[in-house]
Order: sequence, then structure tokens, then C-alpha cells
Amino acid sequence: MSVELGHYALVLALAVAILLSILPMWGARRNDQALMDIGSVAAVVLFALVAFSFGVLAHAHLVSDFSVRNVWENSHSLVPTLYKISGVWGNHEGSMLLWLLILTLFSALVALFGRNLPDRLRADALSVQGWISAAFALFILLTSNPFQRLSPAPAEGQDLNPVLQDVGLAIHPPLLYLGYVGFSVCFSFAIAALIEGRIDAAWARWVRPWTLAAWTFLTAGIAMGSYWAYYELGWGGWWFWDPVENASFMPWLAGTALLHSALVMEKREALKIWTILLAILTFSLSLLGTFLVRSGVLTSVHAFATDPTRGVFILAILVIFIGGALSLFAFRAPMLNAGGLFAPISREGALVLNNLILTVSTATVLIGTLYPLLLEALTGEKISVGPPFFNLTFGLLMVPLLLAVPFGPLLAWKRADLLGALQRLFVAAGLSFAVALVFYYDQYGGPVMAVFGLAAGLFLVFGALTDLWLRAGFGRLSTSIGLRRLAGLPRSAFGTALAHMGLGITVLGIVAVTAFETEHVVEMKPGMSVPAGGYSLTFDGMKSAVGPNYTEDRGHFTIRRGGTVKADVWSSKRLYTARRMPTTEAGIVTFGLSQVYVSLGDLMADGGIVVRIWWKPYILCIWGGALVMMLGGFVSLSDRRLRVGAPSRRARPAGPALEPAE
Amino acid sequence: MLFWIFVAILTAAVAAALLYPLLRGAHAGADDRAGEAAVYRDQLRELDRDRQQGLITDGEAEYARAEIARRLLAVSGGVAAGDPAKPSARRRRVAEILVILCLPAIGLGIYLDTGSPELPAQPLQARLDNPGNDVGILIVKAEQHLAKNPDDGAGWDLLAPIYVRNMRLGDAEMAYRNAIRLIGPSAERLNGLGETLVAAADGVVTADARATFEAALKLEPQNFRTRFYIALGKEQAGQYPDAKGDFEAILKDSPANAPWLSLVKQHITLNSGPPVAIAPGDPTEQQVADAQAMSSDDRTQMIEGMVAGLDAKLAEDPNNIEGWLRLVRSYTVLKQPDKAGEALKRGLAVFPADSAGGKQLLALAAELGLSTAGASQ
Amino acid sequence: MTRKQKRLAVIAAGMGFIAVAAMLVLYAFSQSIAYFYMPADLANTPVPPETRIRLGGLVGEGSVVRGNGSTVAFSVTDGEGTVKVTYTGLLPDLFREGQGVVTEGKFEPGSDVFQADSVLAKHDENYMPKEVADRLKEKGVWAGQEQTQ
Repeated sequence: MSVELGHYALVLALAVAILLSILPMWGARRNDQALMDIGSVAAVVLFALVAFSFGVLAHAHLVSDFSVRNVWENSHSLVPTLYKISGVWGNHEGSMLLWLLILTLFSALVALFGRNLPDRLRADALSVQGWISAAFALFILLTSNPFQRLSPAPAEGQDLNPVLQDVGLAIHPPLLYLGYVGFSVCFSFAIAALIEGRIDAAWARWVRPWTLAAWTFLTAGIAMGSYWAYYELGWGGWWFWDPVENASFMPWLAGTALLHSALVMEKREALKIWTILLAILTFSLSLLGTFLVRSGVLTSVHAFATDPTRGVFILAILVIFIGGALSLFAFRAPMLNAGGLFAPISREGALVLNNLILTVSTATVLIGTLYPLLLEALTGEKISVGPPFFNLTFGLLMVPLLLAVPFGPLLAWKRADLLGALQRLFVAAGLSFAVALVFYYDQYGGPVMAVFGLAAGLFLVFGALTDLWLRAGFGRLSTSIGLRRLAGLPRSAFGTALAHMGLGITVLGIVAVTAFETEHVVEMKPGMSVPAGGYSLTFDGMKSAVGPNYTEDRGHFTIRRGGTVKADVWSSKRLYTARRMPTTEAGIVTFGLSQVYVSLGDLMADGGIVVRIWWKPYILCIWGGALVMMLGGFVSLSDRRLRVGAPSRRARPAGPALEPAE
Repeated sequence: MLFWIFVAILTAAVAAALLYPLLRGAHAGADDRAGEAAVYRDQLRELDRDRQQGLITDGEAEYARAEIARRLLAVSGGVAAGDPAKPSARRRRVAEILVILCLPAIGLGIYLDTGSPELPAQPLQARLDNPGNDVGILIVKAEQHLAKNPDDGAGWDLLAPIYVRNMRLGDAEMAYRNAIRLIGPSAERLNGLGETLVAAADGVVTADARATFEAALKLEPQNFRTRFYIALGKEQAGQYPDAKGDFEAILKDSPANAPWLSLVKQHITLNSGPPVAIAPGDPTEQQVADAQAMSSDDRTQMIEGMVAGLDAKLAEDPNNIEGWLRLVRSYTVLKQPDKAGEALKRGLAVFPADSAGGKQLLALAAELGLSTAGASQ
Repeated sequence: MTRKQKRLAVIAAGMGFIAVAAMLVLYAFSQSIAYFYMPADLANTPVPPETRIRLGGLVGEGSVVRGNGSTVAFSVTDGEGTVKVTYTGLLPDLFREGQGVVTEGKFEPGSDVFQADSVLAKHDENYMPKEVADRLKEKGVWAGQEQTQ
């Protein structure tokens, strides 16, 4: 019965979403407080219903209730508990329900924490959230219902795809969705502002925490996915420019642009129309990503959903929401008044440059991802656009941005002194080059361009530190005053510095791996050794082993440096018996920030085996940098100022009393 | 019934929550632009702080202050725009009706179409505690036991043939191998493993299977089943005289009324054809691979041999619905509708048309376009 | 410079950047797009050597030959034509004779052996690369099964 109650709760959620999409907006148009208030209640109720429904499905997975088709298809009674739970969203239906859950979660958060918003803006924004929720609830119920039942119930499930039985994949989708769907709030605020026809600096302040939260989670989700692909697929790569990866990367790029343009709008009331457009585009790219992944139009490692009716349904959602939003934009934007003026050389100017580069590079990724699909749809011709395209276009476009980032925070608003900023960054730039050169000689060789790449990464790190150094006034003032001032800096200043530093660390990792990585594909017999980045890897032999639901051939390797044993590595080829599915389990050993990566190929008749061995210098910097960026996001989010502007509803104090104590 | 009560409670609770703001009556809206003003005041404070810390020059600060003050002024001046409207009773009524109608109408409308209110939840543990005679659940029970006690060889041994009957060949192979590893090989287990391997390879006696049968033969040299598969393996490897000799030996040793006689005779004829270039000695992996890559004629012939084997096996042990289904399908694939029809009749004789197995057979017949006239009576 | 001129200069610079980006995209397309071919297509319209293409089809039964070290030779067929392929590296887990495969690489001048530098691997055990499946269905070589998930 509980299963059916979960199903009913989902249907009821659709009804509530429909009410949510009508009543508050109607109230806002008529200035009817009670109708607008329904918005907040309905958003919370909607979340509660979807959460209950999701909980029921999760419970069915946990207790292996195979009378639920979704459980039968994607679970097995012997799968470990963790994967029983992650199996809930390891499939199409469940992941769409998770999508809806997170969407309604954000709506509820807007309702609960949006008390500082003007009533009409909040009511409109919640209604727009209601439209999206209703569309996806309908999509789930009509094409991807996770509560379909089987009678009689099968005795055993069909097992979760072995590749998905992994901790990384258990937490990757929720993080990614928190990011994707978080941008829906920005979208709803933008639509609400367009409907209301009024937009000002305060709007940007209200949108910023949502953008920041979504961006932070998306950063984490993308980094997680990249690391998962790296260690689980056994191909040694960490980014494949696969359409599914691009689908999550494009909202990230656009969201990064939005984060920066909202800053200009908040401080200077400039770029208003552009910011609104970006907010719409960012969520549109999230929807596009959902469409690409969920419709199965891609030939891709992740596209495990294929069903044309679903594809058409999501495409319809995509067209209605993006088309509708852009039409509204075209209709309303001219009525919004444009913002303040500024000189090209200024903080605003730097942020415009940031936006220009980020949106243009988003566009190149979009073109590279969609062009093959469009060409095939129009002419039937099949082409592939591979990593070289993206590396060339995206890579080159990013160069000016990376060089410009450290300048941004040093420039003053409105009109700034570029020469002054240059002088202040001189030390950082010189230091970057010196360290890069030292590093280069330490690594013996590699392309000379690597020096410039490393210097660019270091420049970002040192540039961010310079910004903090100058703001604290070290060098000008005494150290103790400097330290006190450093502690007094707003959290968002640290957030900015950390995010920019994180970017630099990621760039360092990418450059180091690309330039200094070594790869050997050799046929090894027991006793043979292969060098890997100053270590030597010896193959000791193969062993057969049996796991809980697989059999495997494990290769044992010993890593030595200068004759002493440093580590043992096992790498294996597994065969999951129930699905007759072979997988490769890479052996990875970490030395500091670098890794040795061993992947097995085919067994040869004479007892040898083909082995692929990589030395991946400083590869952990790639994800470490993302972690630092994330940290920057959280630090910024904790900034007191983002919560300001929440007047108590009853008593409206004036002046200083408004400042919450901390 | 209890379910519908819960449905009613849930619907009513949601409706009540949504109606609450309407029923609470008119309450004064907060100043629409107070939030904005607060944001700008905070910006002013931040500006002061920045200036005190020397992050910006006095000139810049003055300019920014003027800008923010302008926004603040605009907000305070615009309050008149947020004219509190009179609540309209008619509008409220419409909204109330919408809430009261919409929830049950949409909720029940869609749920009655997509839901299965009569089905109870069936958590696996409850079913395991009370399995009844559901074979699937009994298998799962055995699997759960073996997952906890993976060294119970007898358990694996018991489970393996059940897997084969349910066509779960991958699991069957694993179960046989575990049983052999834990309680040692026996002819029965080795034969079972060999047959599983052959079935998994679509009827080809692979090198692995052949080695298994040969091990079985050492334990029980007279077993006809083992000898048959070894002979079949030789036939598939192209060692026709050897295969023929083996089949003839089987024929000689078999009791006169053994059900497999016709099948064995068939293979003797098959192997008496014009001799092909035959490599002496044991078949190597390469030869088995050759057998797999042989021309389609040869392949059809080989499959026919396999199907005949299945046919004979069913004559011996007819209580195997999977086997019948496979046999009917195989004959259809081999474009022998007569034999397919005959197999269907024989299958329906064992599984009457109104039994579960019979229904499966009839469904298959319908799918393949076989006439069931005369058979379904 | 007057304010108007300044603004024009900024807009021109922005346009210039976009134009550069557009040219970069076009150039990169011309360098890195790989067209998809099946063996039968190659028989009809040969591809000039050194052109990057994707070649898809079924791995020929019994055609896989391991060479020295990690070099593998096999043939790709679509029922009408067959092309010999050599590849150095690790083959994906799901690479099997008779199964669908997509390889990417080029022909060396004067050779009709396709030099692959990547062989694509996919997750699903039922997986048939999409391009290959579409074309094989057209030709009726492979009936295919609907994916269930």
C-alpha cells in the first residue's frame, strides 16, 4: 500500500504544482496578498509531497520490493545497501524524480528564505517554479513513471549495471542536479522581473546567493563526474569532451558569467538586460543538458536512456520554456531602463570581458556539441566532432581570460588605472615565471609551451594572493594592522580569491598532465619492468579471484624507486556473471599530487598481458583546484551581506538595528 | 479500504494547507520595497567600511555614495506604486473552488489511470519468510543463503541444475564451478557444467566444454551423455571419422530401447559424408574456432544436430517448458514448420493449453504464426 | 577620443573577438571533423589518404590477430564490404568478434589498411554504437534489440 500512496502523492504533487503555477501569479497581478501567500505554502507542500514520494521509492529499493518495476529493473537483493539507495537515481525514472525533488526543494527554499523579497517578485518567481515543476511532474507521470507495478512480482531483480556500482556515481547525480536545477531559481527570478517590468540592483543581490549555490554544487558535480570517469572507465582520461560532459559544462560556463555580471548589476546597476538574458540562458542550457542526456539523442557513454516518446516530451518542455522565456525577453527587455556608465578600463570593463569570453566559449562548446546532431537530423550525414576541436577553440579562447582574471579584482569600479594594476601584479607575474621555469627544468623537457601554461596557472594563484595582500595593506601598514584588516575583509573577498586560486590550481594540473604525462602500452611478462615518472613498475603475475558477483583476473604490480619497494598495485579485468559484463578496474597509486595509473588489456596466449601504464604528474591538482573553487563558493555564500535586506515583517526597524548581530 | 482513507486524508490535508492563506482573511501586505531599501542601506554601510579601511579613495566613495543614495531615494519615493488592493471576495471564492476541485480531480483522475491501488507492497523479506511454492522466491532464498555461506558446496550443487532449467546459464556456470571447487568433481557436476557451457555457446562444444566432458569421462567412462557431447565436439571440429567412430560406439553400447538411438544414428549418417581434410590428433582451439567460422551450410547442419539433441532430451524428460519453447522456436528458425508444429503438439500434450506452460506455448505459436488447430483442443 | 568614439572602439573590439572566435571555430571544424563511413561506402567512394574518418561496422568473425606487443589487426565488415584495420593500444572491454565497433583514424598513402588510433568502448553489454546500428538496420544485417532501460 505504501508504494501506491507514494504514487498518489506524486500525482497530488502535480495538482499542487498546477495550482502553484496559477494562483500566486494571479494574486500578484491583482495585488491580492492572500493569493500570493498561497505560493509559499504551496511550494512547501509541493516539496513535502515529492519528498514523500521519493522516500517511498527509495524505501521500495531498500527492501527490494520487486513488485515495483523500477526496483526490479535496477536493483538486486544482494547489491550492497549503498547501491540499493543510489540505484534509486541510477536509472531514468528515478533520476527524473530526483530532478523534480531538487527543483521543488529550491522552490521551498525560496518560499522559506525569500522573506526579504518583495511579495510580488516572490509570488511570480514561485509560480514560474510551479510551471517547471508541473511540466516535469507530468513528464514523469506520463512517460517515466517509477511507480509502475508488476504482478506477479518477480523473485529477483535484474541487477544494477556494474559500472554504476560505485561510490562516485552514487553522489555524482545529486550534486550535478543541485547545480543544474539550482539555476532554475535564477531563471524564475528573471521571468518574474520581466513580468513585473521592473528590475534594479537589489534584484541582483537577491539572485546572487542562488547563483552562487548552484554554481558551487555544479562545480562539485562536474569535478566528481570527471574523477569518476578517470578511475572507473580505465581509459586514463579525465575529460573527454563527451556530449554529456559538455551538457553539464555549458551551464557551468554560463553560470560563471552570470555570477560575474550579477556583481556588476548589484554594484553599478549596469548590464541589467544582459544579466536577465544570462539567467535565462543558463537555465536553458541546464534544460538542454537534461534533454541531451535523457532523450538518448546522443551516442555517448552516459546515455542509457533511449525512448523516443520521452525525447519528444522533453524537447517540447525545452522549446516551450526556452522559446517562451526568450519571447518574453524580446517583448519586455526594451522597456527596462539601461544602467550606469563606465569606462572600458574598470572593474566593470574587466567583468564585461569575462562575460564576453565565457559566453563566446560557451557558444563554441554548444556548436561543437549540437552541430553533429543538427547535421544528422537535417542531412542524415554522420560526423563526429572530437576533442581536437574543443581543445583548439575552447583552449585558445580561455587564454586571454586566464591572463585577465588576476587584474579584475585589482581594478576600481567605474574608472581604473590599468598601469597601476600592472605594477602591483608585477611581482606575482615574475614569481610565476620563475617557479614555472624551475618546475620545467625539474621535469626535464616537455614542450616549451608548458612553461607559459604553468606560469599562467601560477599567475592566477599568486594574483589572487596579491589581491588579498593589497587589501589587507601588508607592506604599507604594520603586520599586525594588516592581519587585523585581513580578518576584517568581507567573506566574499576570500571567496573570490579562493575561486580564482582554485582555477589556477586546476590549470596547473591540466598543463602538467598534458605536458609531462608519460604513457606506455606494452606486453608484459612476469618479472618485466616499465618506467613511470621516476618509478619503475614490475609485473609480478596474474591471479584469478572470485568476488561476490563477479570473477576477475587480477594483475599484481610492484612499484619501486631506486630499488626500494614503494607500493603494490592491483589492476583487474572483471566479469560480472549475472550480466556477462566485462569491466576493467584500473590500478591507481598516488604519490603526492601525482599518480601511477595501470590498466589491463588482453591476456596473451603465452602468459603475458598487454598493460597500459601512465604517469600522471600533478593530476590531483585538477580536482583539487575544483575543490578550492567550491570552497570559495561556500565561503562567499556564508557572507553575511547575502542575507541582508530581510526586514522583519511586523516591526520595521530603521537604521542600524537592521544589521543582524553575528 | 485503508488505502482510500489515507488518500482522502492526504488530499484533505493538502487542500487545507493551501486554503489556509485564503481563509486567514485579509492581512496587510508588507511594504513591497522595504527589502530593496534594506539592500541599499547595507551597500552604504559597506561603502563606509571600505573607506575606513582605505580600500577605496574618498573621491570614489563619494561618487558611489551619491549613486546608491539615488537608488535609495527612488525606492522610498516609489512606495505609492505598491497600492494595497482591496481583496475581492469573488476572486477568493474562485481560488477556493479551484483548490477544492483541482486536487481530487487531477489526483484521482490521473491516479486511477496509472495506479494499481489493489496491489500491496511486497518487500522481499516478507516474501522470503513466507515463500509458498514460488520457485523464484525459493531460488532467491537459496541465493541469499549462499551469499552468506559461500562455501556451502552442496548448496551450489543443488542450485546449479535449477539455474539451468531457468535458462540462467551464467549463474549456472558459476554455481557448478563453485560446487566442483568446494566438494570436488563428479561426473554429474562436470556433465552439468559442460552442458551449461555448450548451451551458453549456442550449441557449440567449446574447448572449455570439451575439456570438462573429458574430465567427466575419466570419472564415469560409460556415461552416454558425456560420450555424446565429446563425439559432437569432434564432429564440430571437423574430425568426422573420429566422431563417427564415437557415435557408433555409443550405438553399440546403448540398450536397445534407448531414446537417443535415432539421434545417434542421425549423427552417424552425418559423419559418413565425403571426408573433408581432417587434422589428426586432438582438436585445438583453432579448430573449434574454425568450426565456429564454418560456412552457413555447415552451420545449419550443426544446429540441426543440436536441435535434434534437444528433441531427444525432451522425449526423455518432457517436463521442461523452457525446452519445448526453445525447440519450437528452433525448428521455426530452421524453416521446418512441420517439425515445429509437431513439437508444439508434443509440448501441448505435456502442458495442457489451459496451464501456464501451455499458454506460453500457444503465445509463442501465435508469435511465430504456427497453426495451433488440432493442437489446442 | 570622445565618449562616442570610445564606445565604438569597445564595441568594435568585442565584435573583433567574436569574429576571431568564429574563424577559430571554422578552422577547427575543417581540421577535426571526422565523417562516418561503413566499409561499403569506402568501396564506392574511396577516401583520400591522411583524411581522418570514423569507420564503423561489425568486427569480422575470426579476423582478430594479435601482433607484436599491443598491436592488433582485425577487419570491419558490414555485410557488403570489409576493411582491414590495425590498432595499437588496449581494446575496450566489450570488443568482440561479431560485435559492433567504431574506430577512428586514417589510411596511410598507398595502403588499404585503416590505421585506427581509437576504438570506441561503450557501457552497455547490449550496446551497439548508434551510427552502426542505424546503418546495419538499413541493410538488414542486424535486427537489433530494443534497449530496455
